[in-house]
Amino acid sequence: MTRILFSDKLDNCVAKWRSAGMTVIGPVQGESLSSYAAVEKAGDLSFGMVLPDRSLKELFFPQTEPMLRYTIKKNEIETADFTPPAAPRIIFGARPCDASGLAIDDPLFGWDYKDEYWFQRRNESVIVTIACTKADDFCMCTSLKQAPDCTKGSDVLLRPLDNNRGWVVEELTDRGREAFTLISEHIKESDETALPTVEVPEKFNLDTCVAWLQNPDNFDSKFWKEISMRCIGCASCTYLCPTCHCFDIQDEGDTYSGIRRKNWDSCSFALFTMHTSGHNPRATQSARWRQRIMHKFNYFPGKFSVNSCSGCGRCSRQCPVDMGITETLQEISKL
Amino acid sequence: MKIVARHDEAPGVRTMRLEFQDPADHEQFKKTFRTGMFGLYGVYGEGESTFCVASPETRNEYIECTFRQSGRVTSALANADIGDLVTFRGPYGNRFPIEQFHGKNLLFISGGIALPPTRSVIWSCLDQREKFGKVTIVYGARTVADLVYKHELDEWQERPDVDLVLTVDPGGESPDWKYRVGFVPTVLEEAAPSPDNCIAVICGPPIMIKFTLISLKKLGFDEKNVYTTLENRMKCGVGKCGRCNVGSVYVCKEGPVFTAEEVSRMPAADL
Repeated sequence: MTRILFSDKLDNCVAKWRSAGMTVIGPVQGESLSSYAAVEKAGDLSFGMVLPDRSLKELFFPQTEPMLRYTIKKNEIETADFTPPAAPRIIFGARPCDASGLAIDDPLFGWDYKDEYWFQRRNESVIVTIACTKADDFCMCTSLKQAPDCTKGSDVLLRPLDNNRGWVVEELTDRGREAFTLISEHIKESDETALPTVEVPEKFNLDTCVAWLQNPDNFDSKFWKEISMRCIGCASCTYLCPTCHCFDIQDEGDTYSGIRRKNWDSCSFALFTMHTSGHNPRATQSARWRQRIMHKFNYFPGKFSVNSCSGCGRCSRQCPVDMGITETLQEISKL
Repeated sequence: MKIVARHDEAPGVRTMRLEFQDPADHEQFKKTFRTGMFGLYGVYGEGESTFCVASPETRNEYIECTFRQSGRVTSALANADIGDLVTFRGPYGNRFPIEQFHGKNLLFISGGIALPPTRSVIWSCLDQREKFGKVTIVYGARTVADLVYKHELDEWQERPDVDLVLTVDPGGESPDWKYRVGFVPTVLEEAAPSPDNCIAVICGPPIMIKFTLISLKKLGFDEKNVYTTLENRMKCGVGKCGRCNVGSVYVCKEGPVFTAEEVSRMPAADL
């Protein structure tokens, strides 16, 4: 026996969660880019796409957010820390690669100084992930040893039934069970089985690539120059990436009051590492692309025992010059 | 923090002495600050910049920082007057393990605006002079005008227990300059300090560090006895924002102080 949530009951579930004070968030078609956004009814959700253009990251680590507000008076400065307002929410229809992206970044935001913004949002979010039954040419979760039904970072995993009729429900955490208790009246016992997950062909051998990256001799390989020659440093890959976490801190305001903000930044930009003296440790685009690949598959796993990539493929899918992690690692595995 | 004193060191280079406004913050600073650590100094509305704490751990009643006026934040800091309030976040990072230097000779090598971090170590050691052997300081700048802490250089020059070797780059000397002319690595090789029982602390622009490490090797220094501090661009200071790392090393967390041996394991191209 399986437990089923039928699609025609989803609107009732959304209403139920909303009346319990939760914001319901899910994949929606935007005007230009699709993303995960708040909805009022089930009809606003769009389950047809392989995955939204924008990743789930921005709901936990926004593109820009205030850290503190300051007011300067005659002989004193008043500051007020910004705390995100408590906002319990349920993310319905996350993709497994997006959910696992959050789990990948947890140790980074938690080591040494614990990033309270990140963890507050992590703690008040229920993540309901839908296993993938379709993929496109850019999907590469299996190459990263993940899967179209990976449960990392998820509180509930749903497996689709045929003809968009609904989902088989697998609750994974207490937080997930609690949210689904609210809608238990809409969950039916049944002997139906879910659709199989999509076959995502392996695009490169990760172990071969990691071994090549870990060999110090390859740091100065001419490969880096060749592969990154067409990179225009636009940073689309890092902004759309579910795990890229680099940021800048900037003040915004006038002499007497304003806000200190944390903004997304990118290792693709020359100014990211430029010293005041003009010296730049990562002076070329190839050094910057090497940094991104090394960081994801060599440095980050060295520190946190997990690759900083969940295999969503956005970096390749949205790259204006057709080079992303997939293309790079495919080339590396041929070396 | 309140600015209680300012001093112009060289064209565009200023030292500020800052005092804590909150006694609890001061107590915390006294507990944690050790020479080599850095902080983020800021002005609300302009932002934060990363510099070392230029004052020694033996004088922790205040913080001194020395910076070159260059961008938005350093201009705002330079424009701040005595009595004005600025911010300090820190101290962050690791330190020079000076208690391991006890009983040893010390060689400090520094270039230009990189004397401030070295100066913090120098005074931390000179303030407990009896614990260390011979102290040699090699300091160079592009021109005579660019030498910082001129009054302290005079003081070290006069001290019988400090050997000071001063140099300026060729062309940077003034008519009355009576010390060396030449680049720091060359002058260091001429001065030829003995590597026996000696710890070297070097700080300077990346190009100076590169060539000075070669000179120290020639002089017979073991990489384990050579310390340096890497001053990469930083924003968060707590191992998150992603810009200061060299290879897998987060300079803000595992540094900024490294031995030459540790530096040699880092990818040279990214230094």
